Amino acid sequence: MLDLDEISKKVYETQVWRSIFRHSPWKDAPRDRMRHIVDNIWLHLHPARIRPRAVKVSYSWGLGGISFMLYLILTVTGVLLMFYYRPTVELAYQDMKDLEFVVTLGKFLRNAHRWSAHAMVLIVILHMVRVFLTGAYKKPREFNWGIGVLLLTITLFLSFTGYLLPWDQLAIWAVTVGTNMAGATPFMGNEGPFSGLLGMRVNNDVRFVLLGGTTVGASTLIRFYVLHCVLVPLVAGALMIVHFWRVRKDSFSAAPLEADEEKLDVWPHLIVREYLAAALTILAIFLWSVLQNAPLEELANATVTPNPSKAPWYFVGLQELLVYFDPWIAGVIIPNVIIVGLVAMPFIDVNPKGVGYYSLRERPLANTMFLSGIFLWFLLIFIGYFCRGPNWGWYWPWESWLAHKPLPPPTWDLPAWAGASLMIFYMAFGMAAPRLIGGEISWSRAIGAFVALFLLAVGGLKIFTALAAAKLLMLGFFIFIFFLLGFLFPQRYLKGLDLARYALTMSLILMMLGVLLKIGLRLGFDIKYVLSLPQFNFNI
Amino acid sequence: MPGEPITRRNFLWVGWSALATFFAASAAASARFLFPNVLYEPSQKFNAGRAKDYPVGVSTRWTKLQRVWIVRNEKGIYALWARCTHLGCTPNWFNDQGRFRCPCHGSNFSPEGDVIAGPAPKALWRCKVELASTGDLIIDKAVLEDRPGFREGHVYFVDV
Repeated sequence: MLDLDEISKKVYETQVWRSIFRHSPWKDAPRDRMRHIVDNIWLHLHPARIRPRAVKVSYSWGLGGISFMLYLILTVTGVLLMFYYRPTVELAYQDMKDLEFVVTLGKFLRNAHRWSAHAMVLIVILHMVRVFLTGAYKKPREFNWGIGVLLLTITLFLSFTGYLLPWDQLAIWAVTVGTNMAGATPFMGNEGPFSGLLGMRVNNDVRFVLLGGTTVGASTLIRFYVLHCVLVPLVAGALMIVHFWRVRKDSFSAAPLEADEEKLDVWPHLIVREYLAAALTILAIFLWSVLQNAPLEELANATVTPNPSKAPWYFVGLQELLVYFDPWIAGVIIPNVIIVGLVAMPFIDVNPKGVGYYSLRERPLANTMFLSGIFLWFLLIFIGYFCRGPNWGWYWPWESWLAHKPLPPPTWDLPAWAGASLMIFYMAFGMAAPRLIGGEISWSRAIGAFVALFLLAVGGLKIFTALAAAKLLMLGFFIFIFFLLGFLFPQRYLKGLDLARYALTMSLILMMLGVLLKIGLRLGFDIKYVLSLPQFNFNI
Repeated sequence: MPGEPITRRNFLWVGWSALATFFAASAAASARFLFPNVLYEPSQKFNAGRAKDYPVGVSTRWTKLQRVWIVRNEKGIYALWARCTHLGCTPNWFNDQGRFRCPCHGSNFSPEGDVIAGPAPKALWRCKVELASTGDLIIDKAVLEDRPGFREGHVYFVDV
């Protein structure tokens, strides 16, 4: 009979085994559990013991760990794919076809790589939402939140550099659009505002460095290959080390902290959850990769753009945003404001409450504004993904793309004086009103007054102008959102803040709502730009 | 002061500053390294065939190969670069609607290249056109103009 216990006991006692694993024979005593963590290079990033609240799945949902697991899957599948893939214009697409039809498991590995990348973007976003909602970015974790925001942008940049590599139509046109956004950067891009000051041309600007030429071509492919396979993963790895180390050093945020809490041994209580999450992640990715093939479009063609040409879901929101503003505003300024605003969040949100648990009541302003921003971003994704058809025309999700649509109506700009006054009024009124109006406005009275005023205004507009009812409703909806989020919430929860923080928070809120209002003005009233100053490419 | 011995502290200051300068210069040199000096890209100039062969209207004959539309109006011929001025996709010509429409963000342009709808901030670029002695059109996509008043004349238009 095979006595497994006897065999393992013998193995554990051999000199070879003892040389690999430093700790003494396993006895499952608290001391052994602790040694198992601290004596192991891979596990020692964990503390040896941990508060029970921190291992609760319903607190963290394991999202950070799952992101890391996806990064590992991406590394393994990516390295394997590199054995077959040659990053040249002549061979890249052919190698993709070989991976799909000739190489054993090639199709599966490519699927797994693509789907893990999509899943990683989603999970990293959800991880950020979780951290925000539980106030886990507050002191002393401000720095690590900033690292996390950088890791989110790096995750997106890894996806962006990765999808040029198949050298199909999606690849070349997504990267053409993406790098042209870089070409619209103020000062540093040849099509951006003030490009003349630094003498930017098509062959010396920031876009030129990214592409290694003036169009997406052979040198772009090798550049993106190096970025995707070597440089960016190294940076991501380095930042992850800092991120994990700070999670450990700053301690877990989970609250409430109880006096003389009985701590749990990390081995096995936390480790088993981590392994389980990792196993489930692998299972999900493998299943999805068996069932669903990664898309591969036609061979890249630098002159013909597919109609419509859509970015992957996580960039299609940005693509839709580009419809409403000048490229340097939608493609450079807004994303940078979002990133900087997120990094600055722990320094402008001084509310000490709500660390380590979910609470809308204790953090009404922060959570409402953050969720509104996330909702707006996913609304843009929804419009871009489901409501746009050929020629980027508006097609409802249930409409066929073959249906004939009327031509897009001509758009118009407000005169510069009107646009400038409107924007100054918007910012000045938006900034001042919530702070200057004292006292506590009751929700019901405020909303009642708003509805009454709105009905009066609608009545007047209906009588004196030819606006359709649907447009009036739309107008009312957008003004109501502004009234609620841009006035009532800040009036109630923000006005006590010191002036600098108040101004910063309020301008972030006004910018976010401004984007929504501009979308409404374009879709409902065909206003191309509220303020257009062509000499500065200032089109907003 | 002359003759004063160099202190250990000052010596180290100089040393470490020199090292920091070296690293900064290396970073700058590496950045310069990323700007290629030679490009292996196709020529921007091409022969579009006999000018007389183009009827009045927008010709899409060269869009797939050269990314250029050749347009003839009552007076003569000009060439539009088929690159959307918004973010660089190739718009499509719709003959029945009489306009160019971009598949990426929905910009619409008239046959003159002016923006009718969508986000594009500027009119389409017109390319330099020349009439060779053989009667062939020579198009140069490296020489571009989009300002009304300038784009209709000079080298951006041939009278044939």
